[in-house]
Amino acid sequence: MLPQLKVTMEKSLAELHEAGSRSTSSLPPGPVDIIRGKSCYRRVRLNVGGLPHEVLWRTLDRLPRTRLGKLRDCNSHDSLMEVCDDYNMEENEYFFDRHPGAFTSILNFYRTGKLHMMEEMCALSFSQELDYWGIDEIYLESCCQARYHQKKEQMNEELKREADNLKDRDGEEFDNTCCAEKRQKLWDLLEKPSSSVAAKILAIISILFIVLSTIALSLNTLPELQDTDEFGQPTDNPKLAHVEAVCIAWFTMEYLLRFLSSPNKWKFFKGPLNVIDLLAILPYYVTIFLTESNKSVLQFQNVRRVVQIFRIMRILRILKLARHSTGLQSLGFTLRRSYNELGLLILFLAMGIMIFSSLVFFAEKDEEDTKFKSIPASFWWATITMTTVGYGDIYPKTLLGKIVGGLCCIAGVLVIALPIPIIVNNFSEFYKEQKRQEKALKRREALDRAKRNGSIVSMNLKEAFARSAELMDVVVEKSGGPNANHLSPSHWKWNSKRAASETSSNRSFNMQELGSPSKVRVTSPQRLNVQKLEEMYNQMAKTQSQPNLNAKDKSSRGGKQRDVIELGAIQDHSPSVFGAREGVGDMKSLSSIDSYISCATDFQENPRLPLSPALESGHQESNCFLYGPATNLSQQANAKSGQQTTGDRDPILTPMSATKSLCSESARRFFFSRNSSKTIYPKGGSRSDAESGLSPLSDSSVVSDHSLLSTEISVYTTASSGTPPKSPESTALTVFTFHDSSISKYIDADTDDDEHHRDLSDSSPSGHLLASASSKCSITKNYQRGTNHLEAAQKVLGQNCLFPLEGVRSKTHENHIVHEIARRPKVERGFQKTVDKSL
Amino acid sequence: MWTVPRPNYSTEGEIMVNIGGVRVALLGDVLQRYPESRLAELLRCSSSSSQSLELISSLCDDFDASRKEFYFDRDPDAFKCIMDVYYFDEIHIKRGLCPICFLREMEFWRIESCVLDECCRSDLSEKEDELKDISDKVKVILEDLEVERCSTRIQRCQRSVWRLMEKPGSSVPARVIAIASFLSILLSALVMCVGTIPELQVKDADGELMEHPTLEAIETTCMMWFTVEFLLRFASSPHKLHFILSVMNVIDFMAIAPFYVVLSLTYLSSTSMMELTNVQQAVQALRITRIARIFKLARHSSGLQTLTYALQRSLKELGLLLMYMGVGIFVFSALGYTMEQSHPETMFRSIPHSFWWAIITMTTVGYGDIYPKTTLGKCNAALSFLCGVIAIALPIHPIINNFVIFYNKQKVLESAAKHEVELMQLQDNRDGRKESRERMESMESSP
Repeated sequence: MLPQLKVTMEKSLAELHEAGSRSTSSLPPGPVDIIRGKSCYRRVRLNVGGLPHEVLWRTLDRLPRTRLGKLRDCNSHDSLMEVCDDYNMEENEYFFDRHPGAFTSILNFYRTGKLHMMEEMCALSFSQELDYWGIDEIYLESCCQARYHQKKEQMNEELKREADNLKDRDGEEFDNTCCAEKRQKLWDLLEKPSSSVAAKILAIISILFIVLSTIALSLNTLPELQDTDEFGQPTDNPKLAHVEAVCIAWFTMEYLLRFLSSPNKWKFFKGPLNVIDLLAILPYYVTIFLTESNKSVLQFQNVRRVVQIFRIMRILRILKLARHSTGLQSLGFTLRRSYNELGLLILFLAMGIMIFSSLVFFAEKDEEDTKFKSIPASFWWATITMTTVGYGDIYPKTLLGKIVGGLCCIAGVLVIALPIPIIVNNFSEFYKEQKRQEKALKRREALDRAKRNGSIVSMNLKEAFARSAELMDVVVEKSGGPNANHLSPSHWKWNSKRAASETSSNRSFNMQELGSPSKVRVTSPQRLNVQKLEEMYNQMAKTQSQPNLNAKDKSSRGGKQRDVIELGAIQDHSPSVFGAREGVGDMKSLSSIDSYISCATDFQENPRLPLSPALESGHQESNCFLYGPATNLSQQANAKSGQQTTGDRDPILTPMSATKSLCSESARRFFFSRNSSKTIYPKGGSRSDAESGLSPLSDSSVVSDHSLLSTEISVYTTASSGTPPKSPESTALTVFTFHDSSISKYIDADTDDDEHHRDLSDSSPSGHLLASASSKCSITKNYQRGTNHLEAAQKVLGQNCLFPLEGVRSKTHENHIVHEIARRPKVERGFQKTVDKSL
Repeated sequence: MWTVPRPNYSTEGEIMVNIGGVRVALLGDVLQRYPESRLAELLRCSSSSSQSLELISSLCDDFDASRKEFYFDRDPDAFKCIMDVYYFDEIHIKRGLCPICFLREMEFWRIESCVLDECCRSDLSEKEDELKDISDKVKVILEDLEVERCSTRIQRCQRSVWRLMEKPGSSVPARVIAIASFLSILLSALVMCVGTIPELQVKDADGELMEHPTLEAIETTCMMWFTVEFLLRFASSPHKLHFILSVMNVIDFMAIAPFYVVLSLTYLSSTSMMELTNVQQAVQALRITRIARIFKLARHSSGLQTLTYALQRSLKELGLLLMYMGVGIFVFSALGYTMEQSHPETMFRSIPHSFWWAIITMTTVGYGDIYPKTTLGKCNAALSFLCGVIAIALPIHPIINNFVIFYNKQKVLESAAKHEVELMQLQDNRDGRKESRERMESMESSP
């Protein structure tokens, strides 16, 4: 670099440019180059997103603190690259990878000192551009400023509302207390009429009850239908009273059920619709209470009056209809939003009434037998006239009074008409907003699907989603509560940490214990050492590695010993298995793709089953698995959905695991080819790759290396069996589902991969540590393998995201997965204890 | 830094210009259509043999001798629009460009603004109006800020009183005063209304009904308060003439004046300089003017101000409304009168009498004191009702539109003005910084 520099310094301008260009392609130019290159020109070329601009350096100096202003002061390659995305010294051109449309107005700001916003520009993206170029939005001219802020606020509001909506949808978690599923079902039934036919019917019944009770209430006041009580006062008709009681009973039951099933009691209590419900019920009980407790004093007028007031309050139940009508809800929202304009309307009316009533009073007061006796008395006339109701009980008679009356009519029409369009505007905006929200939800789902298909990969989207995710986080943090932990990313970080500590303790314990049995079946020391350690580490996956051994060594020595241990372990583990199975069972009912997920989760159960009888058949089955893996998987899934008991499942499931673990080279090759050519094996394999914690992946990466096969498989079977001691892997699972079910659902495929990477790297050191206990050479290899797998995993995950069928997974599945995972940690605790005991 | 070879473009009759990175080749004779413009001058400069570099550099920002092109550090988009003038003799502003900015660009290129096409000019005038509104607001805000700069003590006192009375948002006492004033308006209006109730009135010595003494006392207090307020405002106002001509202050004066007129009249009558009956009649007449005090509320409600503003702006539409109504009233009352003639007990005694009926029917009020009895008359009534609805609805729409626009603008205006002030301060700061920087540079260069 230096000699080259010297040469260039001596050379002339043109040559310097050449040097500059060369250095951009090979080496970054030195500061001298850059300074010289800059000083040659009074102008600079800026290429923003492909649109070339030319501007004087002098112009850029007007705002030295902005990004473009800094460009002048950058004298080294690194600082230049910080400011711009690319540059070319020869052409004196700087490239920025930004939106060209916004830049025109920003560059004009440098030229004219006036910052305007293009009308068609989105305010949000413009503010992002302003941030990028380092210009404060305060410089925006006042003609555009209002529009800009309005739009920005609107956008922010919308984002917040959407986030709220999403939070509401996903925040309804029922994992905090008992009988969560039943409660959720009840909640869906009562709160979401569109969720099922039963819910719809229930809603209709509820509406009918409301209508019925209102009719009964009004019929009650008919004198013909009223009875008289002992004091000679009219009371309710007994039949109508029964109707009333039934209706109130229904309302009470509905309210109580809602309250019991609500995920957040305080929020439920505060909800305006629920307050209305309560108000509809309460008067009845208060009336009963008052009449029962004051039976003797009922004749007193005061008590009667109170009772009457509460009876009137019963009419509030008509507002219960708002729950079933979005139109009423939006009306309420509009009124709440435009109270300013409503106040204006009332003020206008009040002033008009005041003026015209006093005018008409002075006009009419000398008339004989006039009804305009005072100004307050003529208020009524003014009101009725201004609203153009015109009962005709009072009307002016003098000529002056009539002129005033005519003016009053016209003024009334005007005054009422004026503020109403603003209110109407609010209403229509809100209505539109609701429509748009519905559309946005759909669009978001479609986008999500498209993203998983891999058809959309864009920076902007990512940023926007990150922003919305931020919003989400804020919201979630505010709300706190039990929902928060699976929504916020902090959860899984913490989880992995805890899991790591668990594994470490577990591992050390295991190492002491399991030295002896492993010695029995040593054939090739290096491999077996690793094998042993893996076994120690993977209490659960031991059987999985054992058939592996069997396949390699054809020796069943010590198998029985271990079987005993394992059986004990399995018995202890059974609760956890069941816990997992429940989740699996949920998933089974779903689409075929989902059945693959269940397959994947099957893997975690398989290792725990004694495999020895199924081994031979395992080979055969593995062959057939090779030929038709997809069908095999689907068969399995079907079989599994049909047969719940473990015994039935064994013969089918074990070969599956066998193929996974002891598969011959051809099998591996198949896997490999499958991974490389995705089209052959569209869904099952890759799906299970991801879901089972990458177990087949190991096969693909191992192809070349046989000696270390067993260790790797065991590593990955641990991954597949998301059981407690190996919870780093289970967290990997969590992360994956986090991606699927996360509220924002907008975490890009890239970021997801990152997370996986991180979590897998969490798990790989543990494997590395394990190996270090046995031998050094295996350490390195194992570690290498681990990292290889990580890469492969990333690749496959990336491919996963490209698979079209993945997107088909609907949201409900994801929920189930979440439940399963959410439940697992609880089981883990007890489970780990039992393991320790058994050992 | 480098020598410029003298280019001679006269043979080619074409110049290359580079506007902010966009290169355009322009024909000389096209440019000559507007000899006043900057480009035409540039062409003349460059083509004349005795051209000077200084002149060229004064016309353009940069001159590239090797490429023979002139560089302008301007907006290329605006230039594209401005170029149209050479070809089509008129300019249309591209959508998305700010008209004010565009006007500046036109100034730079020395093109007269009259070539701007009519359709774009309305945009421009709209924008200009908006800016004018904002600048008015800004002026007011700046005036408020100038309080500290007042030199003499009296002036400062005057300013602070002015702010206290006129700007409720400026301080807590000012807010309290505004609220008190608002409440006193309401109270006095209430007293005025309640005072007319016969039950609350007392009889004086002559058996005449008089207002209740407590109500009278309240009225007097309110009036004192209004007077003090008005006088303070007047004393502290920076522009007295402006103050007197302002509508709000006229209303204030109208609200106060009757009280003092009545006082003086009663004084005169007590000293028997005027006849008592005349005085009483005058007092009665003046009582009506008390209504004016309700309009004082407008000072405290921006919505009412908007209403008056909108009504002022849409006087034409209001006239239209009244005209429609007038025509309708004439036609339908005449029709009603003639059709009801056949009925023996007709309520339509004459056409002027049936005016009242027509108004009440057309505005859909319908008291029912006069109504048609014949079939034809009823048909006429139905027709008049329909026409009345249409006659009211049609001209009302633009009025409403005006109102909504002003209402929305009002909401934006305040923030825009504040922002403008901030911007001005920022620019002041920046200019100050630049000056200091330039000074620093000159100091550095001098040694």
